[in-house]
Amino acid sequence: MPQQPQWKMALDVERCIGCHACSVACKVENQVPLGSFRTKVYYWDHGSYPQVKRDFLPALCMQCEDAPCLKACKSGALSRGADGIVRIAQHACDSHGACEKACPYGAISCQPGQIADKCDFCSHRLDVGMEPACVETCPAEVFHFGDARDPDSAYSRFMARRGHETAVLKADKGTRPAVAYRGHRVEMEAKIPEGRNHEGWSYEIETWPSLDAHFPPQRRVHWARVEPGQNITEYRAEAEGGAA
Amino acid sequence: KAQPRVPHDYRKATVVRSVCLNCSTVCGIEGHVIDGKLVKVSGNPEDPNNGRSLCAKGQSGPTINDYPERLLFPLKRVGPRGSGRWQRITWDEAHDEIARRIRRAMDEGKPEEVAIHVGRSRVGEETTRFMNAVGSPSVFNHRAICSSNKRAANYVSLGETDWETGDFERSKYIIDFGANVYEAHQGAIHAAKRIIRGRFDNGAKFVYFDVRMSNTAGRADEWFAPNPGSDGAIALAMGNAIIAAGLHNREWLDTWSNVAADDLAKWIDRYTPEWAEGVSGIPAADIRRVALEFAHAAPAAVAFTNRGSGAHYNGFNADRAVILLNAIVGSIGQPGGYCYTVEPTRIPPQVFPHPLPMPPSPKAKSAIENPPEWPLANKWQRMKVGQIVYRHLLQGKGKVQVYLSYTLASPQTWPEGRSLALRVLKDEKLIPFHACSDIVYSEMAHHADMILPDASYMERWGFDTRNNMELRDYVTLRQPMVAPPGECRSFVDSLIDIARRIGPDTAKYFEFKDHEEWIRRRCEPFGKRVGEDGFAYMRKHGVWQDTSKPKYYALYDWPLSAEELKNTRVDEATQIVLRKAADGREAPVGLMVKGTARRGFITPSRKFSVYHPDIEAAAQARGFDEDGGKGMPDWFPVPSIERMGQEQLHLVTFKWNVHTQGRTQSQKYLSEIVHHNPMWIHPATAARHGIRTGDMVEITTYRPHGHGMRGGGEVVGKALVPAWVTEGIHPRVLAVSNTLGNQFHGRAATAHNGPRQALEAAWDRAAVGEDADLDERVWWDPARGGTGAGYNVNAILPIQPAPLVGMQGWFDTVCSIRRA
Repeated sequence: MPQQPQWKMALDVERCIGCHACSVACKVENQVPLGSFRTKVYYWDHGSYPQVKRDFLPALCMQCEDAPCLKACKSGALSRGADGIVRIAQHACDSHGACEKACPYGAISCQPGQIADKCDFCSHRLDVGMEPACVETCPAEVFHFGDARDPDSAYSRFMARRGHETAVLKADKGTRPAVAYRGHRVEMEAKIPEGRNHEGWSYEIETWPSLDAHFPPQRRVHWARVEPGQNITEYRAEAEGGAA
Repeated sequence: KAQPRVPHDYRKATVVRSVCLNCSTVCGIEGHVIDGKLVKVSGNPEDPNNGRSLCAKGQSGPTINDYPERLLFPLKRVGPRGSGRWQRITWDEAHDEIARRIRRAMDEGKPEEVAIHVGRSRVGEETTRFMNAVGSPSVFNHRAICSSNKRAANYVSLGETDWETGDFERSKYIIDFGANVYEAHQGAIHAAKRIIRGRFDNGAKFVYFDVRMSNTAGRADEWFAPNPGSDGAIALAMGNAIIAAGLHNREWLDTWSNVAADDLAKWIDRYTPEWAEGVSGIPAADIRRVALEFAHAAPAAVAFTNRGSGAHYNGFNADRAVILLNAIVGSIGQPGGYCYTVEPTRIPPQVFPHPLPMPPSPKAKSAIENPPEWPLANKWQRMKVGQIVYRHLLQGKGKVQVYLSYTLASPQTWPEGRSLALRVLKDEKLIPFHACSDIVYSEMAHHADMILPDASYMERWGFDTRNNMELRDYVTLRQPMVAPPGECRSFVDSLIDIARRIGPDTAKYFEFKDHEEWIRRRCEPFGKRVGEDGFAYMRKHGVWQDTSKPKYYALYDWPLSAEELKNTRVDEATQIVLRKAADGREAPVGLMVKGTARRGFITPSRKFSVYHPDIEAAAQARGFDEDGGKGMPDWFPVPSIERMGQEQLHLVTFKWNVHTQGRTQSQKYLSEIVHHNPMWIHPATAARHGIRTGDMVEITTYRPHGHGMRGGGEVVGKALVPAWVTEGIHPRVLAVSNTLGNQFHGRAATAHNGPRQALEAAWDRAAVGEDADLDERVWWDPARGGTGAGYNVNAILPIQPAPLVGMQGWFDTVCSIRRA
């Protein structure tokens, strides 16, 4: 019997342009509901004008070898395959939410009434010989994915060349991720929320200069030009954009 | 208990190749269709530009087709215009009424009062054929609010094309003036991908000029924030520094430029880096250093532009100055340099000929379509001055009886959009009849008299092309991946049907069943080239690339063949090769260079045009003396900026990487990422006004000064927007994105969570069902503590067409602010 592949990923973040193509490809591919993300791209603005820089950090499930989500799940819905991928058996999920709370990478979403959801390297695509959706679409060639046992895979070739420059995120958590990063700003790891998949406010541009993962309500900006409940038939001149 | 989601089973999928149209970049795509539903798109691996890559917008495409707020039936308004009350009608009724109204205008001898107004439709050949059949020149477009200064600059300098193709992958030094290429440049993904390869795989340095820290600025090797409107001064000063250091390519200039090296040195002598520092605020030492680094890397060095440099009063010359910078170091057409191809924006008619008979060009004239105030707007191609359409209608400079709008969102995307444009759109005297073709119930549709539900770009036909980064001719095919829902019908199919109903004089040009048959007939002769059925070839591959010629490096230096030299002579004075046609008239076909006949540049001198006589003539004719009427790429100040008060600021706009201006806000996964557009403001400026992040700010804008401008200094309007204090912006500049602030387009676009509202007449649950995401999970809805759908600032940006070419000076707006 042929050996199982060992699926692994390495991201060369120096090349990333923050375009969100990976994230949207993932959402369409996996029909991910609004408010949940399997992959997200964080922004960080730092420095003082005119010496200002912007860094990006695409984040997804780390397919940890020692996965806290797996240990936290009470219904046995999570398991780690021989190929290294941590998967959710949808029928077995009881929406308990312990997995989301346990994940140091904010990579699992388990909202009330929804089945837990997380990246599984697009396993259904791997099954038919396709790459994960994020890997395929990335215009900047950030993602290097493949079978770590195959020296010719994109992953192995990248690691042979640049592996010594890579690191895992939040190594102190001791979860032994299967996803490696090259060229990311270590400070940005603080932006990845622990125990929570997505907080709406974390995508607003007001958070770009911050390294916080969570935003206390008093620091949030509330802005609503379109009043709730106003529908198109009630459209009035008042809403015409303030032209004098 | 929640229903498990079923992963896409790609073993059951059929793959249809086509072309994206969720922005202007023209990416080849593959649609994966399972059980009649388009579940996913990915890049067409055969596409020479993007291959398997797509951006976020491209990936979002499938969500358009089954958006619950899609228009599904033709509608006719039953209340006053803009009341939002509609009645379903049949396609026969819709087309009959449009045809009858067009016939009446034609019979009155006023075909020019039939107008079609399009955004980026990509069916320009079809709409033009229709309008030619009607006899109307009134095809209004959006080029002047997009890119006409840049295109004009390329036409002037190179003659051959309106769009350069930087050979970024092989470059060693890339200077970008105001093209936010990592997010929103035309051809963004194609160029960004290669700039990244150039930088990280080929060791290129990337230097970027922009007033705002875009993603491009934030990731460039060096980012400079010049004073708005000073890009051209910087480029000229770089040229000055290079020539002063003797690093210019004298031989190239003396051979190929219509201003030889010594003459150029004399002229550029006045534009020193120290002078440019005063204009731009960028230190002379940096200008000189970057210039010399660029020259040392040449010819694998490219400087290019887009909106940031071009969308100014002086943008035409700014872009010419940047092209000149490439000529000074001899990188035009060189590997790693400033390359270009034969006119890349047209479907080659010799390969895909139009079905005959073709209607003749119209004899009727329109002062809106061809306004004499801007003599260079339609000189090289019909770029027009789209932003003046509504103002001219209001001023009575032109009339319309029938107004057809397509892929247009002028209330959102036009300067003075939600103010002047909307005022005219609402006025039944100025626009007696408006039929709008659209995908969702838009602001444009809301102000129409009839709505024609369109097929999405994944449900219709068309050819598309643009510049190919691989420097070859290529053409792509847009074809339906799935059938449109409800009674949706592509706009071109509507036009064909309407043309048949107007009368035999128009019907004779539309002797084909539908758009598909039109495309098929254009592919028939093409079949001979590929040795198989041409239509089948295009449907299978989605793209055709002409590999029969070498890549278009140094096209000007290509020798003329013996065939091309037949019946030619050389003009002794100019060394231009002239060919005599059958009617005895002579036309230039090349240039003698060191004893051999070369193609040269397609300019009057057959050389790279630094000076251009047509510009000098046009400037003199219009009394436009800012550039001295010299026809050189001079720099002159933007009058509105020159007169700015100490406390006044620049107001600029920008495009997000996940949105186009008007079309994408209804796409839930894109609006989930960006739905909120506060005003960017520098900390020092904010502190002076007591403004903190989240504070509401009142912006007041003023009318422009300058040639052909009226009411300079008067108030245009006021807006109330929240502030975002950021280090990533020039201290004198405020930035508000040009997208967002939709009041229509459904729940994703307007940040409304809950059940689908109103317009039930347009919808059919059987054709397009509800989306639980929009009913339950629009988390940016203000009612759920979200930040809402943003603000549309275009309402208060004045219409300000630049002299001669007429491009909108998007970045010349002067404003003042106060904390509200």
